[in-house]
Amino acid sequence: MQREVGSLPLAPALRARLAAAGFQTAQELLETGPCGLSKEIGISKEEALEALQVVRQECHGDAARTAGGSGATRKFTALELLEEEQAQGFIITFCSALDNILGGGVQLTKITEVCGAPGVGKTQLCMQLAVDVQIPECFGGVAGEAVFIDTEGSFMVDRVVDIAAACVQHCQLIAEAQQEEDHLKALETFSLESILSHIYYFRCRDYIELLAQVYLLPEFLSEHSRVRLVVIDGIAFPFRHDFEDLSLRTRLLNGLAQQLIIVANDHKAAVVLTNQMTTRIGQSQSTLVPALGESWGHAATVRLIFHWDNSQRLATLYKSPSQKEATIPYHITPHGFRDVQPPAVTQNSEGTEMNPRKRPRREEEKQQQFQS
Amino acid sequence: MVVLRAGLCPGLTEEMIQLLRANGIRTVVDFVSSDLEDVAQKCSLSYKALVAVRRVLLAQFSAFPANGADLYEELKSSTAILPTGNPSLDQLLDSGLYTGEVTELMGAPGSGKTQVCLGIAASVSLSLKQHVLFLDSTGGFIASRLYQMLQAQTEDEEEQLEALQRIQVARVFDVYEVLSALQELRDRLSQQVMSSTGPLKIVVIDSVSAVIYPLLGGRQSEGLAIMMQLSRELKTLAREFSLAVVVTNQVTRDSSTGPLKPALGRSWSFVPSTRVLLESKEASWDKGTTRRVAALAKSPRQPTGLQVELDIGNGDMPEPSPVTPTQGL
Repeated sequence: MQREVGSLPLAPALRARLAAAGFQTAQELLETGPCGLSKEIGISKEEALEALQVVRQECHGDAARTAGGSGATRKFTALELLEEEQAQGFIITFCSALDNILGGGVQLTKITEVCGAPGVGKTQLCMQLAVDVQIPECFGGVAGEAVFIDTEGSFMVDRVVDIAAACVQHCQLIAEAQQEEDHLKALETFSLESILSHIYYFRCRDYIELLAQVYLLPEFLSEHSRVRLVVIDGIAFPFRHDFEDLSLRTRLLNGLAQQLIIVANDHKAAVVLTNQMTTRIGQSQSTLVPALGESWGHAATVRLIFHWDNSQRLATLYKSPSQKEATIPYHITPHGFRDVQPPAVTQNSEGTEMNPRKRPRREEEKQQQFQS
Repeated sequence: MVVLRAGLCPGLTEEMIQLLRANGIRTVVDFVSSDLEDVAQKCSLSYKALVAVRRVLLAQFSAFPANGADLYEELKSSTAILPTGNPSLDQLLDSGLYTGEVTELMGAPGSGKTQVCLGIAASVSLSLKQHVLFLDSTGGFIASRLYQMLQAQTEDEEEQLEALQRIQVARVFDVYEVLSALQELRDRLSQQVMSSTGPLKIVVIDSVSAVIYPLLGGRQSEGLAIMMQLSRELKTLAREFSLAVVVTNQVTRDSSTGPLKPALGRSWSFVPSTRVLLESKEASWDKGTTRRVAALAKSPRQPTGLQVELDIGNGDMPEPSPVTPTQGL
């Protein structure tokens, strides 16, 4: 109850007036009451009542938390968090090397940022993830829905159809190979139409629309509670051109990042952002670095950088709280985002690599192919 | 600036307050700085009563001077030094984290700040068996990585589980939530509810710039006010309850080619007593290995410019590496 007035979430003008009137702690405010308060600092009775409600909420929240309940603060011991993490799934990318360096796939409740030069495959990965998040649990997925926020207009539905068809086919092969009850049942609902109908697409044309969309996300997600992936394809684009006030841009971007973390945490969703690259000119050479500045680098929990090495596409894990830095090659096929096939192998013309968590059934798959 | 209220001190009655207020004296400061003879005349109150009230108010609201020797004794008995679990970092910090002070770790993204914080939490919880409060504002706290670090330090599963239970994590994504969490900590510590927290000696906030940045900049000054409120809360918590407070901060550049400097500006730079800059050399992301270097940027005890190589451990014990001082010790 000894909460200082300066630390309460009130409007700055109101806070300034309260400080000038000599109020120091929340206790004093509550004792004065709305009529006394409106007289002392010269605001209307309704405003005083509103302010006191906010104060009361904060103080009751504090009291409830001190009394031993966890209340509204998200407070856990590390052991509880460990158990929670171990039970959490990942969104696989169908490229097992990438899944490996990410520690199993794209993590839920974290923000993953993908940076890269134009044409290297960022939007392809986003579309692949929007399909992969819907894989039923018996096949190793998280059975969720996806929100796709597009700022650049690079979302091609025909491409998503190709990727989704390949994914459904892959799951069908597994189901036929393993012949389990729940696999076949899951396949009934996992079809092209259902995949496409569970990707919620938003098109934002400038940064104000993007900010509005992100701030409206919590409401949307509470109505659609099965959403497990939010993709923002092109977070750099609306913020890079025509922004005169750079400090305002930093402020908006950081507010956006915090809002996305809250969304990811509260709704157990993975947030994937794509960023562009810019050139930093040093003394002797110039390097390609992710756009939007130094402070934006702290927004994402996991950062992947896609780049070219002659004609091979490479993915580098640049920032991760739990995995080592590593670089792997990947491939983009007509079926989507895939591993690079090692040269020695395979009569398997699809080029799909199995997820390491699924039991390998390559021999039976090959037999299936020869038979069919 | 406390408002005068009835019952603030024995001689102060409601009628007195009304009379004083009618003449423009509302707060304690107004009262003690005004000419009492004048006030007695204007408000028709007894001069003796006013003097008595002033004496009591001054005694109540002024700070007592302390003896330097007493202060030293008190510091010696209440300050503890917590080893961070990383010998080279301990060397940099003059054998560890001092309680009663705020220590700051700053670095570019991917330089290892969260890893060092996890290492500190693991070491304090496991070797010292103290409780740790971890305020996570970026979502970077990964319990499995912490578990990996604990597994590297001890084989005993019982100990690992106990250590995990001693670390309390609060997810605070907004500056007001941080302030609430700190207020809650203050209430708990002052009521000495030992059962839930146990002996708490360290608070880690990762990161403080993520919650303040959305409020800074633009043309509004509320961000600065909140930042100062937060810094005051951290420093008084550290001092009053003998806690070691560790915060992490970002780095920014003045222009796209300028040198790196700590974020949050000049006002924040007075808050931590020790600042460590974490860098990864060979910072371009297409090379394989990176060397991580910790440099001392501000310290009350060691010469600045000291640098050590830091190994954040990939499952093995970190090796102590030689310190390269740039000034003589």
